[in-house]
Amino acid sequence: MTAPMPVLAAERLEKRFGGVAAVRGVSFSVAAGEMLALIGPNGAGKSTCFNMLNGQLRPDGGRVRLLGRDISGLAPRRVWRLGVGRTFQITATFASMTVRENVQTALLSHHGEAFAFGRAARLRRTEEARALLEQVGMAAQAGRAAGVLAYGDLKRLELAMALAGRPRLLLMDEPTAGMAPAERTALMGLTRRLAGELGLAVLFTEHDMDIVFGVADRILVLHHGELIAEGDAASVRADARVREVYLGSGATSGGH
Amino acid sequence: MTFVLLQLLTGLAGASALFLVSAGLTVIFGVTRVVNFSHGSLYMLGAYVAWTVLGHLPRDPGGFLLGVLATALILAAVGAVLEVALLRRIYRAPELLQLLATFGVVLMVQDAAQWIWGAEDLPLPRPPWMRGFVVLGGERFPLYDLWLIAAGPVVLGALWLLLHRTRWGTLVRAATADREMVAALGVDQRKLFTGVFALGAGLAGLGGALALPDGTANLTLDLSVITDAFVIVVVGGLGSLPGAYLASVLIGVLQAIGIVFVPKATLVLVFVVMAATLVARPHGLLGRAGATAREAEAPPLVLPAPVVLRWAGLAALLVLAAAPFAVGPFALSVLTEAMIALLFAASLHFMMGPGGMPSFGHAAWFGLGAYAAALASTALGAAFPLALLLAPLAAGLVAALFGWFVVRLSGVYLAMLTLAFAQIVWAVAFQWSGITGGDNGILSVWPPAALTDPRRFYWLVLAVCAGGAMLLRHVLYAPFGVSLRAARDSALRAEAIGLPTAKLRLLAFAIAGAAAGLAGGLSVFSKGSVFPTAASLGRSVDALLMVLLGGVQTISGPLVGALVYTGLYDALLRATDWWRLVLGAAIVALVLAFPEGIAGAAQRAWRRS
Amino acid sequence: MLSVADLHAYYGRAHILQGVSFALGAGEVLVVLGRNGAGKSTTMKSLIGLVRPRGGEIVFGGQQVAGWEPHRIARAGLGYVPEERRIFADLSVMENLEVGRQPPREGLEPWTEARLFALFPNLGRMRARAGGRMSGGEQQMLAIARTLMGNPRAILLDEPSEGLSPLIVEQMAHAILALKQAGVAVLLAEQNFHFAARVADRAVVLESGRIVWEGTMEALLADEAARAAHLQV
Repeated sequence: MTAPMPVLAAERLEKRFGGVAAVRGVSFSVAAGEMLALIGPNGAGKSTCFNMLNGQLRPDGGRVRLLGRDISGLAPRRVWRLGVGRTFQITATFASMTVRENVQTALLSHHGEAFAFGRAARLRRTEEARALLEQVGMAAQAGRAAGVLAYGDLKRLELAMALAGRPRLLLMDEPTAGMAPAERTALMGLTRRLAGELGLAVLFTEHDMDIVFGVADRILVLHHGELIAEGDAASVRADARVREVYLGSGATSGGH
Repeated sequence: MTFVLLQLLTGLAGASALFLVSAGLTVIFGVTRVVNFSHGSLYMLGAYVAWTVLGHLPRDPGGFLLGVLATALILAAVGAVLEVALLRRIYRAPELLQLLATFGVVLMVQDAAQWIWGAEDLPLPRPPWMRGFVVLGGERFPLYDLWLIAAGPVVLGALWLLLHRTRWGTLVRAATADREMVAALGVDQRKLFTGVFALGAGLAGLGGALALPDGTANLTLDLSVITDAFVIVVVGGLGSLPGAYLASVLIGVLQAIGIVFVPKATLVLVFVVMAATLVARPHGLLGRAGATAREAEAPPLVLPAPVVLRWAGLAALLVLAAAPFAVGPFALSVLTEAMIALLFAASLHFMMGPGGMPSFGHAAWFGLGAYAAALASTALGAAFPLALLLAPLAAGLVAALFGWFVVRLSGVYLAMLTLAFAQIVWAVAFQWSGITGGDNGILSVWPPAALTDPRRFYWLVLAVCAGGAMLLRHVLYAPFGVSLRAARDSALRAEAIGLPTAKLRLLAFAIAGAAAGLAGGLSVFSKGSVFPTAASLGRSVDALLMVLLGGVQTISGPLVGALVYTGLYDALLRATDWWRLVLGAAIVALVLAFPEGIAGAAQRAWRRS
Repeated sequence: MLSVADLHAYYGRAHILQGVSFALGAGEVLVVLGRNGAGKSTTMKSLIGLVRPRGGEIVFGGQQVAGWEPHRIARAGLGYVPEERRIFADLSVMENLEVGRQPPREGLEPWTEARLFALFPNLGRMRARAGGRMSGGEQQMLAIARTLMGNPRAILLDEPSEGLSPLIVEQMAHAILALKQAGVAVLLAEQNFHFAARVADRAVVLESGRIVWEGTMEALLADEAARAAHLQV
């Protein structure tokens, strides 16, 4: 019996900036329904790694495979078309639109209707948009301007927009940055549930150790562009090297 | 060989004056984030002031040097006054309103200069020492130009030292990155800004004074210099002084050599080089991404028009349709122009507001459409409907080609590049007299007999323009328009949900170009003629004024703007010879009073009530 | 040293601060806790003058500073370290410090480069490095050092632990305690409760622009009900 094909596989990824190696031979994979956390000190190469997966950066070496297909170096919008949804560290939504229109725009793009000139956009895909907003618990705010939402709600809107593309993989860059502890747990609990229901593979970076150790199935630790540890919460927390370069004593971070 | 060398040196001499202006422009932009349209006017004032000052000083090198430095100081003082009186009040206004306010200053300075120094070109009588020359390869080269060549690098070096080796310079560079943070660290921004503006104005004045012996002080210097300076700043990279110097040399030499080999296409040559540079390096030779970034205000929510407004629109349309029965022929011709202006403004609003692509050269498309229609009907003998159809086709097609690299840029870069392109179209119309008739234009282009009745022609214009504007408005609510707005709100997010932002913007650019071209085509048949002014900077500014007066972020804005502006402009032209002064002052006053535009302010008041 | 009474502030049309009052004593570390959007950053910005308060009093060093320009408040001895750090990316470490420089203040030992490099040894090893080429943790240290160059009597620290790895957060805690030792009062806005508990003497909890809890850090640690109600920790 062979293992099922991973949703995402990174194979010996390399990236250099002006002769400085930012990512060196990083390999890992994420399976459907799995939550994988990528952690490490500031400047360890997490963002670089992430940006090679979503198409923002072209790797200098190695491959990114989505369901077996090589997607290395494809533009972000092609990567989305192949089934990769994203949320950003600093939320990015369309401020001149309502919450519902934000989701509708994503849906129109997904259905190839972005260049339609006929009926008004706000009259299209209303039912689908409502269902997605319900899924993330934002249905009540559908008519509000995205520009005035509370931060936690913006994150949930981003999640709904990412789901509009019916993704197989969700990439979340510091999903809980700037949120209160309870909101953090709620958002990641929601993600956890969606990953299970939809069979999504989720890869996220995070600095909140409560979240990392509480939510992730598996954890990767990056340092100076290399993987220095990989495993479940207990093994990563016990790893002497990880404690030395990243976790410290844990007194100020909740990593206890 | 010698000849090329001499042209090269001439180009380098010209480059120095260009560099002084561009350096000032770029430093002012860096710190205050204001693109100072009136920078060319400061240069022009520099030339005039130098002409007066040097006339009162001994005609020896010492006197000249003293006069030039005095001119720089006087202009620095003028700059400081300008900053305190006007710019300080609009630092928080949107970029384009700032541009517009400084354009108001351009108009006022033009009339003021004419009032003080008269309309004649003023040459500086060259004293004997200035007529000296060196012999290079058997040819004479003016000694003064050699001094000019040295002036560029000397000023560049001095500026570099000022910015990198003094505390003031460190503060200026810090403020360029984040002026609010500088203030929070205890630095008085206002003094810093006034100082920077004075420095920039002084440099412009210095440039005008130094270039005076090689030319004259005249009233066209402002716009020609500001166009060159925009090109240089874009090519060199906004905010980069070495970049500005490199680009000045490049453009200066290109102009000097181009004028010999392709005398009629110098501007085109310059433009091609600029385009090539921007394709290879979108932020200019030495510029960096992020130089144009500023604290972006969240765009307001766009809602469908309230029912009241729809009824008001319908009522307005009915009144306009019935107008010919009530007004005389003159008022009817003004109304016809207003309708054409409406479509022109709506097309600019389309790309500028929801498209997020500000243009300072929208007249390019208006002019292209006008010339296409005029040429089709005179040279090709095309029937009226065909000629009118060709106008949007030609303009849209060229816009699609030009748009290919424009849509990769944003903000101020885009505004400056469109301005430069419009200047090219204008120059071609002006210089290519074999086809376009040059300054004499193309005459006797009239609509067919069935439409010679002004009332019928007016109804046609009303149908086409109101219909066109409504169509544009419809598109903005359709998925295409919403996707376009998505790309403007957050390009990052738009790409992440699969929207091809460049393609969306390109199509929007072409649609806006075609609509402006249609307006241009109609204007030809309305006036029976076309002149290069159809593609002039003034025309572009007309459109901008209409949109900005109306408010960029409201969809009904251009309508209000077009009507108010056409009326105001017409009344002014008839009322006074000093219309520039009055118009300029009116623009400045309007920007100060309504930083969001008239319709924007009305909308805000509406929502509040 | 710094006292705030009935402070009201708006962001656009949103009424963010709805009557906030508290006082920061000399040499004290006071933490403002609360979730995102509660008004922590707006409080900080109002105090330094980047957001103009629409009502209430801010008395600093005996002067009513509400409505002053930011540079005047800073010169009066109130330092501000923003949440996003806002390092001048093109300027070197030394130049960033230069921008913050203000004359020495009576009764305070002036902060010199040498003294700052003793506090943040990392910075001393990268004096010529451009701010934009530093890691998040290094930028945070530079942001604090830059503000200290103004010899403030009190310093506003907006979420200094945000986005930093646990190890750097620990160093940040040491630095704040060192500031307290040096006699600088610290007003800290935080979400990271563990971090706040480590450094703060007293706490106020903001919720929707109002203060809903106030007391010593020990009291907050002991008051499980308040923590659960306001902070969900």
